[in-house]
Amino acid sequence: MNLSRRKFLQVGGSSAVLLTTVGCDQLPRELRALYQPPNQSDPFQPPPAEDLDPVSHVLNRAAFGPRPGDHARVCKLGATPEQAATAYLEQQLNPEKLDDDEAEYAVRRFETLALPLGELFEYQEDLLQNELMRGALTRAVWSERQLYEVMVQFWSDHFNIDPSKGDCKWLKVVDDREVIRRHALGQFPDLLRASALSPAMLWYLDGRVNHRENLAAKPNENYARELLELHTLGLHGGYTQKDVMEVARCLTGWTVRAKDQPPYFQIGKVEFKLSQHDCGSKEVLGQMIPGVPTDLSHGQREHLGQQELDRVLEIVTSHPATARHLSTKLCQRFIADEPPASAVEAVTRAFTQTKGDIRATLRALFATKEFRQQRGNKFKRPFNYIASALRTTGARTDAGLEIIDYLQRMGHAPFNYPTPDGYPEPAAPWLGTLLWRWNFALAVSENKIKGTKIDFVTLRNDSGGDAGLMAHLLGRKPTAEETQAYHSSGAGLALMLSAPAFQRC
Amino acid sequence: MSVVSQPATRNPQLRLTGNGDQCQTLVVVFLRGGADGLNLVAPLADDGYYRARPRIAISKTAGIPLDGFYGLNPLLKALEPAYQDGALAIIHAAGSEDDTRSHFEAQDLMEHGGITGGGWLGRFLRAKNQTGSGPLAAVALGKSIPECLRGSPAATVLQSLDDFSLGSNGSGLTQSLARLYGSQTDALANAGRDTLDAIRRVEQLRSTSYHAAHGANYGRDDFSCGLLQIARLIKARVGLQAASVDLGGWDSHFSQSLIMDPLITQLAQGLSAFYQDLGPAMNQTTVVVMTEFGRRVEENSAFGTDHGRGSVMFVMGGGIKGGRVLGKWPGLSREVLEGPGDLPVTTNYRNVLAPILQRHGAGEQLSQVFPEFTLAPMPLYG
Repeated sequence: MNLSRRKFLQVGGSSAVLLTTVGCDQLPRELRALYQPPNQSDPFQPPPAEDLDPVSHVLNRAAFGPRPGDHARVCKLGATPEQAATAYLEQQLNPEKLDDDEAEYAVRRFETLALPLGELFEYQEDLLQNELMRGALTRAVWSERQLYEVMVQFWSDHFNIDPSKGDCKWLKVVDDREVIRRHALGQFPDLLRASALSPAMLWYLDGRVNHRENLAAKPNENYARELLELHTLGLHGGYTQKDVMEVARCLTGWTVRAKDQPPYFQIGKVEFKLSQHDCGSKEVLGQMIPGVPTDLSHGQREHLGQQELDRVLEIVTSHPATARHLSTKLCQRFIADEPPASAVEAVTRAFTQTKGDIRATLRALFATKEFRQQRGNKFKRPFNYIASALRTTGARTDAGLEIIDYLQRMGHAPFNYPTPDGYPEPAAPWLGTLLWRWNFALAVSENKIKGTKIDFVTLRNDSGGDAGLMAHLLGRKPTAEETQAYHSSGAGLALMLSAPAFQRC
Repeated sequence: MSVVSQPATRNPQLRLTGNGDQCQTLVVVFLRGGADGLNLVAPLADDGYYRARPRIAISKTAGIPLDGFYGLNPLLKALEPAYQDGALAIIHAAGSEDDTRSHFEAQDLMEHGGITGGGWLGRFLRAKNQTGSGPLAAVALGKSIPECLRGSPAATVLQSLDDFSLGSNGSGLTQSLARLYGSQTDALANAGRDTLDAIRRVEQLRSTSYHAAHGANYGRDDFSCGLLQIARLIKARVGLQAASVDLGGWDSHFSQSLIMDPLITQLAQGLSAFYQDLGPAMNQTTVVVMTEFGRRVEENSAFGTDHGRGSVMFVMGGGIKGGRVLGKWPGLSREVLEGPGDLPVTTNYRNVLAPILQRHGAGEQLSQVFPEFTLAPMPLYG
């Protein structure tokens, strides 16, 4: 059920009477999803071209696949498919202007996603993990803000945290909400700072135990290394082992209160402890950071010690290698596994000129001819495969654990990746997952997955019969071979969802 | 790699046909509940053992002599041939650094390989298969994926081979899929053909009744059945790299022999049947048996033992220099016992797993599998 209990009590009592007198569209928005007749027919025009047109391309690449009728709706946004695709991307770059109530109501059932940090510790970690996973899939399937959800996934990998480590079991919920989702289409420097001071990140990469109360103590370099290697400059970004050590020194003293550490009302609180900070001078990537003088007041010294974190983040975000590293990763996500150098160049320029404005960077990426031209050359990762299968078939789904189980089997359940580098983007590591895609395609098309239902007859009728259905699923007219296989398989929908073309985006 | 435009680069691990699959398989057996190492492999020559366990110790005459100091529990007799063949090594006083003596904490830490994200086996498979792995690379026998496999590239939970089938509608579908994937030549098409091939192999397995080789005699219990399924998959060469199977119930606080004897019998029968059944294929296979902690050295008033520290590990398989009990025996005198009277851990379990993972292709990635731990690998291979 897509609405909170309180709302239901407010509006539910009189709804039965209401229904007899008013049409569905006059109902309060919360109730529409409940009372809408499930088999409502809504015919649409499937993609008419022989190859993926620009509209099919952006729905595949910058979203989690088209829902029934999406292609036709987007086509109306411009005079040509090319213009329509551009208009769609521009809409998607401004998600705050898109009404997303339906998805918001759908994820309200996962109550822990909205809880403040302190209350999360009252919950069992399995429940939190399940609601995180189901919430991510629900939003990917239902949200109107598709590009935003794609970027949430991108940053979740970029700043990967495996909740199974220590207090991350509880803290990742806050990281997902306050770091990743808050800044997914914002400014990269804000995102990075939020991540650096995220309680979950302080746990996951051991920032909480990075301290140097005296010269004999050795700072913990784990976060410093990943900050340079993964989050900003990239592996060959021109930093040295010495830089890693110096960054770690700058960040000493930042810590987070652990679950078993009294007083319990301060669990998860991020603190800076001057007594554990290395107050000597440092040099990061050739830039001097003066030490904290001893002759100042405690408050002044604390302020200076804390400021070193901002100084470090400023140095690394403005480093040219960071713009290049992030642009390369974005191009790998949106253009090709081996991103073309010319596109990386253009995107790097936009990132640098806007000081890491994520929207402006994406706008530049979408404007490259490489993005426009390279269609259907990417391999959907398992999560994207499942989300797109649910979207294209118009499935009603509760994103239940049976579906999550398919993702587990394919090694791509959200929030399950062990190491800080996040799930890989290129195709190769995922090519072994076909068996479970096919199993899923069969199960979902036969309505054998609890909580998920596809109305095949309506879907086929709405898309204008078998040929239209295939065109809708594939984003283009089927080939003669695909048509023949569809008819001879005895399981046409499962076959289309299993076909090579549907694995690509 | 672009799926569409570039020619396929073939990964030998993905090749599932003929004898080309020289895949090494690692089988992890987890004895859940804290198995009493002193009752599996007893220090027959340490008088402290008999002082601490006047009523439940294995007598000097009943224990199966191994090396003049230790003796096997007589119920493990079926493992004697593997030990004498040099294919079975025992590591005593092994365990983890966790001293909570909590089942949950200790299992969690051991399966994760430290306070870190994901399981050690999952990280190993990720590190090893950076260029991709086959559909049946990792299998967990049971109902859910164990923590050690968390984060694995693809892990399949199965209780029977039926879980691999494409269902009753599968045959028309596989034919149509064969046509669509067969008409292309890129990496995706190759992966599709490999997968269809794996399905065919499992179908063949399912349609023929299995006869264990070399007179191997599996039990009817879940543990033996699990090992039998693993043996079938290994012999069918479907690209199995890692398998996990549990044997639980070792928490012997009272009437130790009533609780442990049936489990020890199952352990011995399962492992010995697997060893016999695989025969030469054992050369590409390693079985490692581990538990979260051992038991208190001193028996309690209820003929049982309470949660302790060090226990025993078994490693069986190709290439190892077995027929030995490895690990430093700390003795059982009061001063050496830890905490409330527990066998100290002299060999960290990671140092047993490290050489095994190295043999199974971990290469330079080994340090990623066990981060923040300075490895001192046990010389299992000589």
